[in-house]
Amino acid sequence: MEPYRDDQFVATLESLRPEPDQEFTAELDELAAEGFPRPERGGMETGWQRLVEWLRQARPGQLALAGGGMAAVAIVLATAAIAGSGGGAGSSRVDTESAASGKSLNGTLSFLNTYGGSAEESGVEASPEAESAPSAAASSEAVSPQVRSGTGPYASGAKHRNVERAAEMTLGTDPSEVGDAAGKVLETVHAYDGIVLNSSVRGGSEGQAGARFELLIPSAKLSDALASFSAIAEVRDRHESSNDITAPTVTTGELLQDSHARIESLLNQLADAETEAEQEAVEAKLHAERRRAADLKSQLTALQRRANLSRVSLRIISGEAPAAAGGGSWNAGDALHDAGHILSVAAGVVIVTAAVLAPIALLVLLALLAQRAWIRGRRERALD
Amino acid sequence: MDHRLVRSTGVEQALLASAQEAPREADLAFERLYRANRDDVYAYVTSILRDRAAAEEVTAAAFERAYRKRSRFDRNRGEPRAWLFGIARNAALDELRRRGRQAELAADPEDLAGASVGESAEQSTRRLALAAALATLEPRERELIALKFFAGLGNAEIAAVIGVSESNAGTKLHRAVTKLREACDGAL
Repeated sequence: MEPYRDDQFVATLESLRPEPDQEFTAELDELAAEGFPRPERGGMETGWQRLVEWLRQARPGQLALAGGGMAAVAIVLATAAIAGSGGGAGSSRVDTESAASGKSLNGTLSFLNTYGGSAEESGVEASPEAESAPSAAASSEAVSPQVRSGTGPYASGAKHRNVERAAEMTLGTDPSEVGDAAGKVLETVHAYDGIVLNSSVRGGSEGQAGARFELLIPSAKLSDALASFSAIAEVRDRHESSNDITAPTVTTGELLQDSHARIESLLNQLADAETEAEQEAVEAKLHAERRRAADLKSQLTALQRRANLSRVSLRIISGEAPAAAGGGSWNAGDALHDAGHILSVAAGVVIVTAAVLAPIALLVLLALLAQRAWIRGRRERALD
Repeated sequence: MDHRLVRSTGVEQALLASAQEAPREADLAFERLYRANRDDVYAYVTSILRDRAAAEEVTAAAFERAYRKRSRFDRNRGEPRAWLFGIARNAALDELRRRGRQAELAADPEDLAGASVGESAEQSTRRLALAAALATLEPRERELIALKFFAGLGNAEIAAVIGVSESNAGTKLHRAVTKLREACDGAL
């Protein structure tokens, strides 16, 4: 038999095409007309099944829209949670600073320079060569036994901390009530056994009338005194600070003890001196040492007074509170500030969310690609 | 006098009816695709599976899958026929893998080469020889023959279905046809 011609070959090949049964095509046409209904699964579909079915049927745009919507809701909720936890502005601001017991020595020394004597005076430097001087050994009783217990730059071993506290407070009231408020301030100071270092009261119109007080309040009663001051008028500003002065107190006490010991020694030397020249030399040393002991005692007393008495600067002003104080009603400036805060928080949430989701999305994408490649490979192997 | 244009109730009803009853464009397009390719898909799937009963199930499943995904089809990414045959191919290969059945094991050459009425003895011999030669091809080669001569796909569509370039698809198809022809000529 002769080989196929091309047209013969193609025609014969096409005649080998499998044709479907009419019964099958009729059933398939019926299914197509009904929109290829899924077979009944029996029982109600759960919400999860409906979600999976929707995910399978949804277009990429719908999936992106749904995912974007969920992400936006999550970001809004997170932003609201974070921004809401920031607190709001009150009618008065209370700003409290407390220095830890381990505050830097520089801070302590700078405070000493400005209030109560210099660092050198507090005995941080080594004592100079003492000069002889008569008597004055009785001052040794001023040194508390506890000062020997602290060691190191922060006197961390001290059982008792010497903490200096200070406060600044601004009260606001009507011009006509400045005088009464000033009187109540003085009454309060006396009620708490405080000291008025200086004061000034000025009458006048709104903005001019006011008062200013520099007070010393026993540290143990400072909190109660500030609460009483707050009750006199509207608190416009309040600022508290604390400073640990245990280290210089301990150091000064130790130097004072050393000085007393040296005086004792010089007195013994003076008693044993046989010549006039020896006596004069010892007396000179004794004199110098007594002067030094007196200085140290003065410094120690000042340090203890700073710990025992807190300095309070109190101002009474008249007129409306300035907007910057945060005591006024919520206005456009506050709205802008709040909007900026919310936007910055939202931006932070978006950045953090992106930082978390980007690697996860990348991994999911890689996993999907790998899964597709694996499925494709399995299908292709079915033909091998 | 009121010059407003008032649409008659009848026209309004007709517009509303057409708007409500008009099938979506995707549904219409799918219906056309189904009508034009129903038998081609069946022939292709049967050539892969070589099992008529299984081919019917897979053909129905393929059209169902395509119907579910009809709204996701993007014409910019390829021809609808290639998309449909890609779905049918995946369904057929999944069935092959599920059954663990190779094409050769289910071969039924007699079924494919059934004699036609009024056919001469020579024509019948040629048909049998070609059917036997077709059965000797590798499954991938037989798939290409089915896509080209049973389903009538062009080389570009074949390339899209099997996931190769158009030139590569043409080369593979040429080799398969040459091999089939040599086997057939040898038998004659």
